Amino acid sequence: MNDKILVANKLTKMYRRGNEKVFALYDASLSVPRGEFLAIVGPSGSGKTTLLNLLGCLDKPTWGNLELDGIEVSRLKEGELVKVRRKYIGFVFQQFFLLPTLTVKENIELPLLFSGKKSREEAVKEVIDIVGLSNRASHLPHQLSGGEMQRVAIGRALVNSPKILLADEPTGNLDSVTAAAIYQLFQKLNQEGLTIIVVTHNLELANCAHRVISLKDGRVFR
Amino acid sequence: MNYFTLAWKNLLRRQGRTSLTVLGIAIAIAVLFSLLSFNSGYEKQLTNELNNLGIHILAVPKGCPYEAASLIIHGGVIPKYLAETDVGEVKKIAHVEIASPVLLQQFYKDGTPHIVYGIKASEMTRLKSWWKVEGRFFSDDESGVMVIGRELAEKEKLKVGDILPFGPAQTPFTIVGILERTDSQDDNFHFLPLEVAQELFQKQGQVTAIAIKVTDVSKIFDVATKLEEIPDIQAVTTSQILGTIMNIVGSVRTLLFSVIIVAVVISAVGITNTLLMSVGERVSEFGMMKAIGASGTDIAKLVILETLLISIVGGVLGLTVATAGSSVIEEFVKKVIPYAPAGKLLSFQPQFAGLCFLFSLVIGIVCAIYPAAKSSRLSPLEAIRSYINE
Repeated sequence: MNDKILVANKLTKMYRRGNEKVFALYDASLSVPRGEFLAIVGPSGSGKTTLLNLLGCLDKPTWGNLELDGIEVSRLKEGELVKVRRKYIGFVFQQFFLLPTLTVKENIELPLLFSGKKSREEAVKEVIDIVGLSNRASHLPHQLSGGEMQRVAIGRALVNSPKILLADEPTGNLDSVTAAAIYQLFQKLNQEGLTIIVVTHNLELANCAHRVISLKDGRVFR
Repeated sequence: MNYFTLAWKNLLRRQGRTSLTVLGIAIAIAVLFSLLSFNSGYEKQLTNELNNLGIHILAVPKGCPYEAASLIIHGGVIPKYLAETDVGEVKKIAHVEIASPVLLQQFYKDGTPHIVYGIKASEMTRLKSWWKVEGRFFSDDESGVMVIGRELAEKEKLKVGDILPFGPAQTPFTIVGILERTDSQDDNFHFLPLEVAQELFQKQGQVTAIAIKVTDVSKIFDVATKLEEIPDIQAVTTSQILGTIMNIVGSVRTLLFSVIIVAVVISAVGITNTLLMSVGERVSEFGMMKAIGASGTDIAKLVILETLLISIVGGVLGLTVATAGSSVIEEFVKKVIPYAPAGKLLSFQPQFAGLCFLFSLVIGIVCAIYPAAKSSRLSPLEAIRSYINE
């Protein structure tokens, strides 16, 4: 088995603004071994989110290649990308994006519904335990604190048993104490073997990582 | 949780908008259902009523045939009369079994019109052999006596033996009989002996029409032709009346259906617009769904399901309201439609209910196609970014 879960080669994302070509990301190459905890840092506009979206198969590169667990995904059609996302990727957003009329349990169940899994009870219960919300399972999002909402979002990202967890500023909307608890959760998940890639401004979070990559003006710095 | 509960819970998030959309569909379906029910009920009741006239041909003064139709159906009054002596002429025509003169008059009591029907009781009871009377019928030479229709009796709280001051001079009349319900306009009439009615309204020697029954229905046309040879007389057959009325009602109906179609189109455009707005607002939500593993089809499925839920609830609500309010609707329709027959026009007909329900589903699906397609094509990235840029 390939020991690299993710290999990116010269990933580039270009936009046109009138006649001008704008590179959100330019020739970004990196490889991520299985079980790594990687942080991507950089000022805003440096291309962090673009890189994360490309790695998460939410977007296609203008050129360059991306291999996910040995599969070349950069030229796949949308219908195939959906399957790849379901199997490999868990996504956590800064804004949580929970559905307000669904309970904690139902929000976490959502990816299983989309991927058409029949027996979902067990998986949901297990994930709720992992993120520490067992006593909150039937609550609605508005009854939760910010930290708890982010735990729901993390639970939702985990429920499909992904190979990689991608998080875009997961602590951006949280205070430092709550944020610290989220890092601990990430560390725990990583110790259990999950590959984690986090985009963050937060240096404390970056320090938890095995490796930090810097981006500036769309280029990988270090 | 399944797609159904997910769609339902999504709708609960926008209760105000959801209920307005439901209401839009409900109104369109209620109107459509009422109209369909009315349409079939009307023709049935009208045919029924004309058959119950027991009269094959009506000899009326020359004039507008619509007036004649109105006269027979409603007991309306036309200001033209035939001479009573014409009755003798009519009776001479071959195949005429009964020719009975009638005088129709109208007077107002407390603002409501009352119809007085002066008849030859001996002949009329033969024409309308199904008439049953509580009490008795008067004979042709009695005076000061009256028979009334059942509905009139109930409305005015009258019973056999009551004395009713009546007519321009408030002459007292004894009610000797109440006609059992016929489900026709007869239920609303005052019946008097012909001569008494003529005297009361000072129309001595005059009649409004001559009701004719023929011995053989295949001879109706021949008899009608012969009748027209008598000066002043115009013959109207019941089938002509039916045709005339259906013509008038037909044009009213066409107009109503056009209005309904416009209403349905407006409501459909409204629903589509609501859905597009809702899809526009939920771009980031759909983006999230795609990021956590939803395909475009999943999202389209969700949008269509939400719309279907709206249209199912709207359709059921519309049918319920139309059925529950059918008596109110019927009263209204009877006022605006010309020549409304007596009896119940609207009845719950399962095939129309099914049709209307199906129609609400079709509206739902048609309205959902464009918004669903649009939402399924959203790129997840742009969807999420649109939130960040807000």
